[in-house]
Amino acid sequence: MKLLAATTRYYLLLNVLLFVIGSIGLYYGIDWALRTEMEEQLQGRRKELLDRARANQLPPVALLATLLDISRQPRPEGFHDTVLLDPIEHEMVPHRQLTFPLSVRGQGPVWVTLRKSLVVAEDLLGVVLGVMLGVLALLLGGVVLINRWLSGRMWAPFRRTLASLRAYDLQQHQPLTLPTPAVAEFAELNLALNGLSQRLVADYEHLREFTANAAHETQTPLAIMQAQLEQLLQVPSLAEDPAAAPLVAALYGATLRLSRLHQALSLLSKIENRQFPRAVPVRLDELLVEKVAQLEPLLDARELRYDLDISKVPVVVRMHPGLADSLLQNLLQNAVKHNVRGGELAVTLTPQGLKISNTGPAVTGDPTRFFERFRKHNAASESPGLGLSIVQQICSYYGFCVEYLVAEGGTRHTLRIALKPASETPARTPSADLIATA
Amino acid sequence: MKILLVEDEAALRAALVGSLRQAGYVVEEAASFAQAQEKIVVYQYDCVLLDLTLPDGSGLDLLRALKASDSPAGVLIITARDALDDKIAGLDLGADDYLIKPFHLSELNARLRAIIRRRQFKGQQQIVFRDLLVLPNLAEVHVRGELITLTRKEYDLLLYLLANPGRILTKEAIAEHLCGDSVDAADSFDFIYTHLKNLRKKLQEKGADNYIRTMYGVGYKLSNE
Repeated sequence: MKLLAATTRYYLLLNVLLFVIGSIGLYYGIDWALRTEMEEQLQGRRKELLDRARANQLPPVALLATLLDISRQPRPEGFHDTVLLDPIEHEMVPHRQLTFPLSVRGQGPVWVTLRKSLVVAEDLLGVVLGVMLGVLALLLGGVVLINRWLSGRMWAPFRRTLASLRAYDLQQHQPLTLPTPAVAEFAELNLALNGLSQRLVADYEHLREFTANAAHETQTPLAIMQAQLEQLLQVPSLAEDPAAAPLVAALYGATLRLSRLHQALSLLSKIENRQFPRAVPVRLDELLVEKVAQLEPLLDARELRYDLDISKVPVVVRMHPGLADSLLQNLLQNAVKHNVRGGELAVTLTPQGLKISNTGPAVTGDPTRFFERFRKHNAASESPGLGLSIVQQICSYYGFCVEYLVAEGGTRHTLRIALKPASETPARTPSADLIATA
Repeated sequence: MKILLVEDEAALRAALVGSLRQAGYVVEEAASFAQAQEKIVVYQYDCVLLDLTLPDGSGLDLLRALKASDSPAGVLIITARDALDDKIAGLDLGADDYLIKPFHLSELNARLRAIIRRRQFKGQQQIVFRDLLVLPNLAEVHVRGELITLTRKEYDLLLYLLANPGRILTKEAIAEHLCGDSVDAADSFDFIYTHLKNLRKKLQEKGADNYIRTMYGVGYKLSNE
């Protein structure tokens, strides 16, 4: 619900309530005022009659009876409401009546009843209520109209702010430059957002620098270790030593694993920091053929039967070439690594998606957990278990949907990726996502 | 063969220089952008090994300078893995090849050989090793004058060994050379074994000496003794 609609709802509720109270008050007020007025008029006539009686100017009772409602019998005195039949309109009409004793000289007391019709008062009340309801309707309509106008005009700066927030991309390293609108609240909001984005950009820059520096600083000693160990292996006396050479070789292998782990982690953090803005059209079909050809010795060695089904139509996806490479590499490697000797590997690529299906050892557990970092099928495996995390990160970076299916008693593993060939830019996820994963 | 090595990390530079001198190159070193710039103006090199991240400048600018002066030197870029865009920029600027840090020194030798071969002999070259003759532009291998047929991977493997005579090649380096740089070699050494076994058999059928030695627990070596 819009903020304006919500506030309008309460305004309208209050208005209706006030109008009901006002109308009731007005009704009784006017009713009371009219009755009082009637009674005053009746009292006035009574006084006039009494004065004329005292001055002995009244006509005889017989004549008086034709003009007034007179009774020789005592009647209850004072004001009363009564209903009389209107002989012209044939309707029962409410009246106010005043009964009092009157002594006409020489003829004893008589009881006179004076009456006034209340029809006029009722008509007046009807008009008053009608006007009130009309005004209420106009007011409600007016409130709705003015709110519509307000939401178009007054909230325009807010909507502009919202639009620029939606389009905001930290990747561009530019803080927000929102204008300062005339409305104080919006000006404050924009000011706060500008400040926030400046801090964000600064923090992001620090983080980026830190990651880059940390990666660089770790990489260099690793490169040195690797180069020195390789040189150490070339020392003739060591190479011929059956005890020392395997030790150095193992050290060399461990260094390689460490540097591979380092590369995988820094790749993951770079994807999370969205540091791959450059996207070009990548021919996934060609890349896939190339990657499979590269892995062929591995496939042969593990006696895997493989089946490539690549669509005749070129499969073009806009992404960073390095990430495309990494995606296919990790997918294929995963399918080979977690396969069984003499197993199968089937790859299907269409413009809609990529499906890699392979045989493997039976697994239990939730397939979605296979995407977790350092998750291994086999705890003794030398691989760090980051391949599928990288696959998932790349897919979410480009908005591809990825799912892992296990069938045939857990021995048939299928990874399906829904490509969106039309996607122009990396899917923009809310910055909350960035914070959550950072 | 004269090579200029531009690398700011002293320890890595030392290891590289050692390896390159062992392979028979004349190596000059430059530790900074400024030093490198001076050297490429004054001297001629067959190949420049260029680290792209230098403390006082970008290797890409050195590459531009080399190309602007029509230098005949080949350029092999050394870059950090995460600098993917630098790599592409380097190749666009006319670098011959690139290596991603950290790399195997034997891989560096193989890449250097290939660059120098392409540049200096315009591909018209033969590699002779003992009783072996390889014509890279025809992809032909002759043993004692007889042509032998190798699979693609066996041929690649042989060229890799020939680029590193007398040098121990680790299984990891061979696996990465044959299967791309990010292959997880640990569980895939058996395929190297298979390919080497087949290669040896084909060579020996034609009477070649057994100069591919197995170094137990380490790797393989093309023995030139």
